[in-house]
Amino acid sequence: MTVESKTGYKRLKPKKTLGEILDVAIEFEQTARDFYSALVPKVSKQLRYLVEELAVEEQRHFDLFSEVRARPDLESQIGEMVETPASDARFTDCVHLPELGEEPDDQAVLQYALGREQAAIEQYSALAETTPDGAIRELFIFLADEETQHKNELEKIYYEVVHSGGV
Amino acid sequence: MSVRDVISPFTAWKNVFLDPVSIKDPINTRPGAPRYRGFHQNDLDKCIGCGTCETICQNAAIDMVPVEGEEVKDGDSGLRPQIDYGRCCWCALCVDVCMTGSLTMSNEYKWVDRDPDAFRFIPGVDKKSWDDAELGYRRPELHTIKPGLRVDMGEVEPEERICNFDEIVDGYSIEQAVLEADRCVECGLCVATCPTHMAIPQYIAAVREGNYEEGLRLLYDSNPFSQVCGRICTHKCETACAARHEGDPIAIRWLKRHITDTVPVEKYAEIIGPPDAATGRKVAVIGAGPAGLTAAYDLARKGHEVVVYEAQAHPGGMIRYGIPEYRLPYDVIDSEVAVIEAQGVKINYNCRVGVDITMEQLHNDYDAVMLTIGLHLGRSTRIPGTDHKMVTKAVDLLRDITAGVEVEVPRRVVVIGGGNVAMDIARSMARLQKQKYGEVGMTVTALEDFDHFLADPEEVKESFEEGIEILDARGPREMIINENGELMGLKTWRVISIFDEEGRFAPSYDENDEIDHAGDMVIEAIGQMSDVSLLGDELTEKLEWNRGRIQVDEAGRTSEPWLWSGGDCVKGPDVVHAVADGHKAAASIGSYINAREKQS
Repeated sequence: MTVESKTGYKRLKPKKTLGEILDVAIEFEQTARDFYSALVPKVSKQLRYLVEELAVEEQRHFDLFSEVRARPDLESQIGEMVETPASDARFTDCVHLPELGEEPDDQAVLQYALGREQAAIEQYSALAETTPDGAIRELFIFLADEETQHKNELEKIYYEVVHSGGV
Repeated sequence: MSVRDVISPFTAWKNVFLDPVSIKDPINTRPGAPRYRGFHQNDLDKCIGCGTCETICQNAAIDMVPVEGEEVKDGDSGLRPQIDYGRCCWCALCVDVCMTGSLTMSNEYKWVDRDPDAFRFIPGVDKKSWDDAELGYRRPELHTIKPGLRVDMGEVEPEERICNFDEIVDGYSIEQAVLEADRCVECGLCVATCPTHMAIPQYIAAVREGNYEEGLRLLYDSNPFSQVCGRICTHKCETACAARHEGDPIAIRWLKRHITDTVPVEKYAEIIGPPDAATGRKVAVIGAGPAGLTAAYDLARKGHEVVVYEAQAHPGGMIRYGIPEYRLPYDVIDSEVAVIEAQGVKINYNCRVGVDITMEQLHNDYDAVMLTIGLHLGRSTRIPGTDHKMVTKAVDLLRDITAGVEVEVPRRVVVIGGGNVAMDIARSMARLQKQKYGEVGMTVTALEDFDHFLADPEEVKESFEEGIEILDARGPREMIINENGELMGLKTWRVISIFDEEGRFAPSYDENDEIDHAGDMVIEAIGQMSDVSLLGDELTEKLEWNRGRIQVDEAGRTSEPWLWSGGDCVKGPDVVHAVADGHKAAASIGSYINAREKQS
């Protein structure tokens, strides 16, 4: 890890290139995937399905975002500077791993996952709002949609698990 | 041959000049009268395959037959009437008795075909020219053979019942029950919907005939919790009832209760009959709730020795410790359990598996083990402030009230939740408030709006009657705690929508519509889960799980061959499903034991 990334300066500077933003987005998914993968053996067996599903979903996003990063039509724009929104600090915080305790229960895992998705939605939506029309803006909208869809799925699981039919 | 014989045919020519008395084109003209009882029509969307037309037909001209594309579902047999015009006399009784008004008769009466089999057809399925005919015979409106309205069930008045925990439903008198039973057309659609497939038309017929002992025998053939289900069953059978299409469904649940109320409890054992001879085989059941005790009852009747391990001091599980006494009196549960114990089932109370005895011991000491542990742990919203000592969970409080533990009763209480448990705790605490303060100070805040409410409508109605404030579409945000650390209430936002267009949970809130609900106590009643800690790490690891719940096969068997599970901890809360689970597991355990017997 470089000194720059340790201090967080690079993450929190007011403007970033599109490449940097995408790198953080990819890292965001990667750390989450690794986090959930590492959590699988720690949680009780009846909850593992949940953590495994989260890891799979983050891997899917990681693959998708990596693919976007490598798209030839973005190559020319990858160095373009984009204004980072106010939500950037929270978003980059989410790249770091949370404290869920040694044996988190299903509700804690879901609340954490929902929080991450919400941070990502806000980040990409804010980026889309401040970026002029064009391919980059469309990309941010796409990323925000992806995270929104995932959050919706998690909300549904949360309702089923926690509200358990509203008994 | 005479001359006359030759001339006479020519005399007919004089008729050429007369006006004709017959019709020139009898095939294409002369429609039937507007209300003529001609060929049948059937609206397939309205038909539920109840078969009352088949039953009433005096000529056996109607057969209910399966039809491609018509699926069997709750309240619909998937069968449709096939009419044989070799037998039909066009009396229209089938139309008069049709429970949905789907079967009608067109005013078409001409049908020419060389194939005699063509005259046996399925209206609505075999397309005919009269399918869309607007004229013909329809049952006149309100001209029904059976009365549409059910016999009202009496209840204690709200002002009286809010002062105590006495049962609020009166039960039918014999006269009322016979009147209600007389509404049933015995179509049997309800049987398929009932999870334990009770012989509903037959026991209703027993009420009608005054043969209560036969009724009780029929009840206990399929449900050893008939007294309980006669009071608190979710009665999905009534949602399948053919009578609901043009009136109220038959009060199946109340008729069940009527039978159990009418037959003296002392006679139950004699009517049910003794168990089979002892087999020498032993089964352990964990949890004395409906699923566990149903399995115990079935197995004991087969002659197996059954020991039930119950953590609480009394039997019933969730139905005792989760349902207030005004809905289900404890003596009804005790009476029910006495019937089960009379079959030889032994219950060890205050014996917590995992503490007083291990799963491993049960595995070693018994031929099979049935795990029915209910949903005794409450969920929390975990919004800020839920760790305050005056924020509590509904299941804990209901358990304490049942156990006779003195609970704190503040003047103002807020409940979070919109399901039956939320109503149960709100109504229980309201009774305690009334006893203590002479008034009710209860607010229920539910995430769901009234169109999507989870509690039974009658629970909501009765809660309102008892002075409970129910606010729908309120999302809990945080507990309100003052500078002294005292709980002051709950802050909520209005829920704009709770589900997205695809029906998924996706709540959105109006932050500008914020309400502070004053309360000295907040009770969370949002959901429940099982306490599976009794399994221990090793067994938890060995077992297969299905999205957080123990995975079982159709018969309730887990991935461990000696262990079965069922009831609320597997299927979610519902007493009659728990009974059904108990039966399935008992049958499977019985087969397993017999197979082992043959091997040894």
